[in-house]
Amino acid sequence: MENIMLSKPHKVVKIMKETQAEYTFRVEYTGEAKHGQFFMLSIPKVGEAPISVSGKGDDYVEFTIRKVGRLTEGIFGLAPGENLFMRGPYGNAFPVEEFKNKDLLVICGGTGMAPVRTTLNYFYNHPDVCKSVNLIAGFKDLNSVLFTDELEKWKSRFNTWYCLDNMEADGFHKGFVTEYIKEVPISSFEDYNIVIVGPPAMMRFSAQECIKNGAELEKIWVSFERKMSCAVGKCGHCKINETYVCLEGPVFNYTVAKDLLD
Amino acid sequence: MLTATEYTQIMKNRANFYSFLQRFYMQEVSADFMEQLKGMTFPQDCGQSELQAGYDLLESALAALPADWNDELAADFAKVFLAAGEHQGKAAFPYESVYTSKKGLVMQEAWEQVKAVYSAMNLAMEGVAADIKEDHIAIELQYMAYLSGRSAATAEESLLKEQASFLKEHLLNWVPALCADMEKYARTDFYKAVAKLTVGYLKLDAAMLDEVMAGGTDGESVSYTVSTGEFDKILQKLSKDYKIYAPKLTGKHGAKGQDIVRYGEVKSASEIVYDRQSDFSAKEAYYPVIQTMIYFTENDSTESQLKDERGILLFAHPCDVNAMARLDNIFLKNGDHADLYYARLRDKVKVVLLECSGSYENCYCVSMGTNVAEKYSMAVRMGKDEIKVQVKDSFFTPCFTGAKESDFAPKFVTENERKATLPVIEGKEDVKLATGLEFWSDYDDACISCGGCNAVCPTCSCFDTVDVIYDENSKDGERRRKWSSCMLDTFTMTAGGAKARKTPGANMRFKTLHKVYDYKQRFGTEGHMCVGCGRCINRCPKDIDFLLTINRFHDELKDAKAGKEGK
Repeated sequence: MENIMLSKPHKVVKIMKETQAEYTFRVEYTGEAKHGQFFMLSIPKVGEAPISVSGKGDDYVEFTIRKVGRLTEGIFGLAPGENLFMRGPYGNAFPVEEFKNKDLLVICGGTGMAPVRTTLNYFYNHPDVCKSVNLIAGFKDLNSVLFTDELEKWKSRFNTWYCLDNMEADGFHKGFVTEYIKEVPISSFEDYNIVIVGPPAMMRFSAQECIKNGAELEKIWVSFERKMSCAVGKCGHCKINETYVCLEGPVFNYTVAKDLLD
Repeated sequence: MLTATEYTQIMKNRANFYSFLQRFYMQEVSADFMEQLKGMTFPQDCGQSELQAGYDLLESALAALPADWNDELAADFAKVFLAAGEHQGKAAFPYESVYTSKKGLVMQEAWEQVKAVYSAMNLAMEGVAADIKEDHIAIELQYMAYLSGRSAATAEESLLKEQASFLKEHLLNWVPALCADMEKYARTDFYKAVAKLTVGYLKLDAAMLDEVMAGGTDGESVSYTVSTGEFDKILQKLSKDYKIYAPKLTGKHGAKGQDIVRYGEVKSASEIVYDRQSDFSAKEAYYPVIQTMIYFTENDSTESQLKDERGILLFAHPCDVNAMARLDNIFLKNGDHADLYYARLRDKVKVVLLECSGSYENCYCVSMGTNVAEKYSMAVRMGKDEIKVQVKDSFFTPCFTGAKESDFAPKFVTENERKATLPVIEGKEDVKLATGLEFWSDYDDACISCGGCNAVCPTCSCFDTVDVIYDENSKDGERRRKWSSCMLDTFTMTAGGAKARKTPGANMRFKTLHKVYDYKQRFGTEGHMCVGCGRCINRCPKDIDFLLTINRFHDELKDAKAGKEGK
């Protein structure tokens, strides 16, 4: 019988600094990983946690990790050449196939950008797939801005609104992402999708704002972050009502997500 | 009728033979395998003519092999199975699809079918090369080896049935034709012998499975009356093959001074506490509080192994027997994969139904429909001097040779003093209403988030994982899992400190809905997750009565629904 909870070592090949507290770890991996999926990462003796895929190449997968807990502290102690233990990928993915020939609005906040990064890069590299890509990305302040090079790059092919919650800076708007949703002509889109990823309150308020600006519930997609000890429907931590986020999520259509109440 | 030991041996032999057979098909004969073959002593009279002909021919073929056997057999392997060197491409293509599809192609219906069969068993079957598909004979034989191996570890009727049906529907339906082709296309006696061996063994095994099942576990029950002394001797005998778990006194006392009864290994009837509910449930016999999952070194991880080969004989009241089905749903059915750590212990369990001597304090099993249990190997009515036993599983019949027969059948509790009135939740709107009920916040003060209720619950399945290292400087260690509790303050806390549910009241709502709504809704089961054993009520240090919670939930929701309609 297959042991679904056995993590295997994968070599860290590169570590890239994003901010003071966030780094991207590139790890050897040749399998598949769909947009929005996650892995269970662990360091023996520190523990295991679900981490979203923030980048993908033929022979690697990337994780952008914020130094906030014991496990991530442990991961920060790694150097290239050392092993990270990993199992996955888990969960469903953003339905990027459905985004074809339609307008796309992506709204993300802080590390919520990590799970949508592969999606954004896919559409950057395939500019003809979507009719238009609109990106509203919010960060706390200039020090928390992630993927600086890519933000610059995306400007050339996407309509972008980059904002900082409480700081003025060149190239950024001041204020929350919710304040810029009205600038996206949602109601003039013939067909469209909206992806929202960030902290729970940010996702809720952004969705409400989108709806206020003419968006339909079923066009909105969100991704949940939950505590998980197994990622395969056994440990119970990510359960909301009769839904297991690890199995049915982390990506949910808003028609479903709005009823997932904690 | 077979004894348990004989049964285990037969299953082990079958697993070995299937593993042996698949090696002929998976790839060319390796030097190792040849050495093993040459070291074998073949039966002279196995009782099945085709199989015997196979043995005889293999023996002579092996004796006559030239020094460069390697080249010769490899060439014949390629010719027979891959049509190498045949200008018309004729061969014995070892795929079920080729033999069962109209056009003789690979990856047809049969391939889809066997993949579904494997995945229903939560297996990913793979060959040594990517082009060996799931309906390749080697993989199908491997699957039989796997199932036989599991049968060696656990005597489950359903496993035998699965083997019998797979044998009939996915091996005997095409392998005889394949073997006929092998005999036609093979140039060497070696592969001709393999063909005879294969078809002969499959037929022999089908007959043997029928025989084992006829004398198996589903027969009529027989009942006996034995003295406690005799019963103890039976337990002693069984303890060679089983760890025997039953509720017993721990010598410890609870917060209210009461004796704590918990599941543990027993040697005699007098240890078994049967006239009251145990403080802890039977689940810890097959889902222990702490389990090692993985051993780590700096560069590798390995799965923990079970040390005790014995089965588990579990004395349990109907509530605990019904609770097993709940845990099975979570661990074996939820998601696409079964949980190995759970399955490997659960597979070992044989249930001895412990008849309730009455409805105990705080039991409400009748309300939950869990007062009756039907899945058990034996049932017992305990007594001071004599014990009545009903044997359903014929593996245990030999234990009672010479015992006095009786007409005992277990009686079930049909009425409890206390009753649950379950909330009526119909659809998403009701769930929303239930979630928003104000009374949940009463528990913000009442509940101290100790998680005691979850620990004693027979259906609480949640767990955390914890890594431990053997000493500060070492990178070697292990990952363990231990019971968790949705009532703990940190249950939903992510690394940054954010919590999805922030109050004891929210936790109580979550637990209650899971126990009397969510689970049933998700799995479409007859019963709810809660089995009404009443243990959490006895356990709570703050005297929170879960039965009252359920009943209040019912009332509050009813009122809320009425209020909503009234508006």
